[in-house]
Amino acid sequence: MIVRALILASAFVASMASAQDYQPFPPGPEQQPAYPQQGYPQPGYPAVQAPVLAIPVLEQDLAVKAGSNTVRFGRDSYVLTPQSQATLTAQAQWLIQHPFVNASIEGHADVRQTRDYALALGERRAAAVRNYLIASGVPPEQLQIVSWGRERPTSNSVHDATWLQNSRVVTVLKQPPQQPQPWLQQPQTLPQPQGYR
Amino acid sequence: MRFIQFSALTIVASAALATTAHAQSDSSQIVIAVPQFPTPKNVKTDGGETGVIGIQISQQIVSDLRTTRAIYPTGPDGLRHYTPTEAGAPLYPNWSGIGAGALVTGYVQGRDDGRINVVCYLYDMKTRREMTRKGFAVAATEWKRAAHRCAGAFYTAVTKRPGLFDSRIAYVAATGSRTQPVKRIALMNWDGTDHSYLTQGEVTVTSPRLSPDGEHVVYMSFAGGLPNIRIMDSDGSNDRQLLQSNSMSFAPRYSPDGRRIAFSMAVDGNTDIYVVDANGGYPQRLTTTPGVDTSPSFSPDGRQIVFESDRSGTQQIYAMNSDGTGQRRLSFGGGSNSAPVWSPDGDKIAFSRWNGSIISIGIMNASGGEDKMLTSGWQDDAPSWSPDSEWVMFQRTQQGTGIGSLQMVSIGGGDPKPVATPQAAADPSWSGVVQ
Repeated sequence: MIVRALILASAFVASMASAQDYQPFPPGPEQQPAYPQQGYPQPGYPAVQAPVLAIPVLEQDLAVKAGSNTVRFGRDSYVLTPQSQATLTAQAQWLIQHPFVNASIEGHADVRQTRDYALALGERRAAAVRNYLIASGVPPEQLQIVSWGRERPTSNSVHDATWLQNSRVVTVLKQPPQQPQPWLQQPQTLPQPQGYR
Repeated sequence: MRFIQFSALTIVASAALATTAHAQSDSSQIVIAVPQFPTPKNVKTDGGETGVIGIQISQQIVSDLRTTRAIYPTGPDGLRHYTPTEAGAPLYPNWSGIGAGALVTGYVQGRDDGRINVVCYLYDMKTRREMTRKGFAVAATEWKRAAHRCAGAFYTAVTKRPGLFDSRIAYVAATGSRTQPVKRIALMNWDGTDHSYLTQGEVTVTSPRLSPDGEHVVYMSFAGGLPNIRIMDSDGSNDRQLLQSNSMSFAPRYSPDGRRIAFSMAVDGNTDIYVVDANGGYPQRLTTTPGVDTSPSFSPDGRQIVFESDRSGTQQIYAMNSDGTGQRRLSFGGGSNSAPVWSPDGDKIAFSRWNGSIISIGIMNASGGEDKMLTSGWQDDAPSWSPDSEWVMFQRTQQGTGIGSLQMVSIGGGDPKPVATPQAAADPSWSGVVQ
């Protein structure tokens, strides 16, 4: 039931972004994903692999369902405000519903921190967000954290009025690392695949 | 066009530096005569004929010493020629008419292996004693570095302070937009010549730090997606990861003997300071507070480390022994203070201070106290000392555009002077000099 709802929801998002041809998981044999394939090509096998998920479409879905993919902080702070906690609770629910996609929790500090402290502060904020998501039920292996320090500001200009906007943590969705499939590594002992059942 | 602009700016910067140095030490100026270096036998090398290299070396020594104005160099034009044998035993009566307080001699000799020997001497004309000498066997194309080192040795003999001429500056060159910047590590001589890029901008890099001998650069890179410390030779080759770790590591800095690297590592929201052998290996943890401890910098004797910590609630400057014991707070001058760097002579610590509206560069005593703010830009940070502990180079970020540039300010005060770079620049690291 949940899977069907998920497929319907995904199909709805795909129809909104018509340029992106989103495929539900797993695809049928007759509808190959339109996205570039990463895989382990072996001679004699048709190119059937797990589909590359449409990350931009999923990120749009996350932003719509959770309200935002970003939570913000005050200067020097890594405390989650009640508003941030509400956003993260919704993000956690979305991530639990999408176990096949990983999330990189990217912490940033404002440009008016010194460089080393900005990296440390970004990591501390990202860790606070990750811990909140884990406490909300997201499997830890689905999450990884990274700090960009002050190296990726949000806007091209810095003024006294705008620099604090860079204090933020962004949930960025990632394709999970593709596991080599045993039946692809040993083609001689296995029959030719007959497509999906 | 860009090159012309760059050269012009370099000249402006050098000239500005010369004027200020002049104001400091006008009374004790010494005239040094630099006749052109002879060669026993004029042979062709990769860097040109040895006779021509001799002329170029003497010209380079004059132009190096001219930037100091503690020394007034004359020559090589208009001075008498001499033989290589006279270089080690000058005929003082023959030089008495030139009105110089000291005399530079030397020679350039081609070697069988294609390299050249460069030998240089400095003699006191009054006492007729040798003040210093230097000898190098270098690749013929490297004659300029031999000249820089000779000039540095002469400057040290006269002023008892290290010369800057052979020092180099590593920094981060930034192009592209601010939201999608391209950052490359660049290396240049202290006067802006011999500019080169060590990384090509595929990944974001920060905080390059030159090893004390200038042979290696340690830096932080986003290669692989996670900030981690990498190390490479100063020509960009032999690039490798310093640590085998899944945690992010950053803020590297060499110990004065070049054998250890202090850095910070962040594990689950807690950043602490570690030290590791410069060849890698297992890091030793020095701090254990739950806050952020970062930006470590060794004292010149290698026994202490100054760093910043927010254990008191705001960023403040602390010092500890290099094994992690004896941690104590140094900064009590107000605001939040960060990015400390110990001066090469051991007397001072440069830092940047956030006072609630601007970030500026200051210095304080190595034992704490006597804070003195040197700049008043909108955002001045990332201080780095000159080898003679007379200047602090830093990054100035312009309000509005956010464009970074390198500036240097004398610890005696005065306005900061721009350091010319081809692009926007950040995070300077000024090397020491090899004595």
